Amino acid sequence: MPELLTLDNIELDILADTKEVVFESIAFTAVKNGYANDTNRIVKGLLKREEESTTGFLDGFAIPHTKNIAVLTPGVIVKTMASGVEWRSLDGKPVQFAIALLIPENEAGTTHLGLLSRLAKMLMHQDVRKKLSETKNREEVRSILLEYLK
Amino acid sequence: MAIKIIAATGCPTGIAHTFMAQEALEQAAKRHGVQIKVETHGQVGIENALTAQDIAEADGVIVAADKDVQAERFAGKKVIDVSVSKAIKDPDTLIEQIISGNVPVYKKGKTAAQKAEVKQIQTGGGTSIGHTIYKHLMNGVSHMLPFVVAGGVLTAISFLFGIYSYDPKSPQYNEFAAILKTIGGMGMNLMVPVLCAYIAESIAKRPGLVIGFIAGMIAFTNGTGFLGGIIGGFLAGYIMLGLQYAFGKLPKMFDGLKAIFLYPVIGLFIVGLLMWVLSSPMEAVNKGLMSFLSGFEHSNPILLGIIIGCMSAFDMGGPVNKAAYVTGTMLLGQGNYFFMAGVSAACITPPLITGFAALFSGKNFDKSERNAAYVNFILGSTHITEGAIPFAAKNPLVVIPILMVGSSISAVLTYLFKVQVPAPHGGFLAGCDASITLGSCDFNRLYCRRLFIRIIEKTFCKKARHC
Repeated sequence: MPELLTLDNIELDILADTKEVVFESIAFTAVKNGYANDTNRIVKGLLKREEESTTGFLDGFAIPHTKNIAVLTPGVIVKTMASGVEWRSLDGKPVQFAIALLIPENEAGTTHLGLLSRLAKMLMHQDVRKKLSETKNREEVRSILLEYLK
Repeated sequence: MAIKIIAATGCPTGIAHTFMAQEALEQAAKRHGVQIKVETHGQVGIENALTAQDIAEADGVIVAADKDVQAERFAGKKVIDVSVSKAIKDPDTLIEQIISGNVPVYKKGKTAAQKAEVKQIQTGGGTSIGHTIYKHLMNGVSHMLPFVVAGGVLTAISFLFGIYSYDPKSPQYNEFAAILKTIGGMGMNLMVPVLCAYIAESIAKRPGLVIGFIAGMIAFTNGTGFLGGIIGGFLAGYIMLGLQYAFGKLPKMFDGLKAIFLYPVIGLFIVGLLMWVLSSPMEAVNKGLMSFLSGFEHSNPILLGIIIGCMSAFDMGGPVNKAAYVTGTMLLGQGNYFFMAGVSAACITPPLITGFAALFSGKNFDKSERNAAYVNFILGSTHITEGAIPFAAKNPLVVIPILMVGSSISAVLTYLFKVQVPAPHGGFLAGCDASITLGSCDFNRLYCRRLFIRIIEKTFCKKARHC
């Protein structure tokens, strides 16, 4: 089964001034790395999920996600932004660390759902968020996330 | 004794927020030295379920959900009811509130889902109105789909015995085929009531379902077709929702009376009469259209083709389509084999369009839609236009015009090539019938040309619909 979170799925310090730009970047990476086959649908799916309720929660972190027929295989895409993006977060802070979860439409994807949920849960710990916000490179981000994904 | 708290979390997508709320509440409980058990309603289902004992022993309940978590179980307990985001953002406040005991006792009232629905109508907030309407429509269509497939395919099979095999007076008569056709017909007749009922059910649950079925029967009986069914569904749904809101203030002891008497009787009275008034003119519309059409009997083939095409695809099974069809059969009886050919072509086209769209642009459809579309190759080939109805109902504003253009092209080509057809139904099978030879070869050749144009159109347009 293809890996959920490869090094290529992570991009640091991207230039983005709105959520939409971040989503486009996520969608582009998703398609490039083979997790999805339609950038438009991914962006629309992510936006639609935001409409239901914001995915920005605490300390500049957000977990946009979409269950979408354009997703071929489950994946985690990480983007950090050079400057905070307005996200209507629960705590009002702009977002600088987006961890996107891409979930396939059909039931075959359930094996990874537990992993994705664990990822979300672990972000609720303040020390985890602190560690992530202090990372200097992609390898560090990946190893922290994978540690909790086990 | 340690304070015991129970909680239930749930968010629509069920991957992240559900579990984040669980984590947040568990951490907060630990910080305050209290016990907590959190039931989650996620994508994979309900995990860590609360037992009856858990509920009985709990000092307080936290419901942190944006979806139905069956809060009725907590009737009589102290319950805090908040959104899932609140639990993520501020779990400590919730835990502290339970500890303080300053929490109202939950009375079994409207479920959270119904409350949310009413709030949405009032404020138009949360998810957009368009999305809500679409959700209701989808509920109706997805329930209707199997009826169309079951009824349609059985009818098609009966035609394999001969297109007149249901008619005792015909030499083709076959009792088994006749039974098949009758059973199939009953399946298809239920299409409109089911569509109507489940649109209403999505809006107003059980009371809506009941009235929706009846409103759908009225729509069907008065010949309004599936468009009438859709209108009826929303009408029944929102009126029943209004009634629920109006009767909401009644004391609890009236709950039984409401369900078995007040909602059905008053609901049917209001909705039934409205549906009757709205649908009665259909008869007149139908007759008017028929006389309008007859005037065009010998006119320009292109003009006639466009008119027939548009009429047939507009409301498949409804008054407009029926007017075109009946005019065709009437003129057929008078010896005009040309007119009916165009009508046949126009009626066969819509299901075939959906079939080809799924074939060439399959990823734009989900699995059940694709399968239903492939079935439409069978239904279209045997002149069962209704196969296209579920697809038209999903997105009428986009799909119906596409079908109208496709059918018009078919009809125009039919008239231009002066194809004749002596049978009022049966589709390709009419051409196969040994005793009928007039123009049947032309008829079938025509489809190939027509389909080609249609394919391009439909693929292009279905893509647009899904963007």
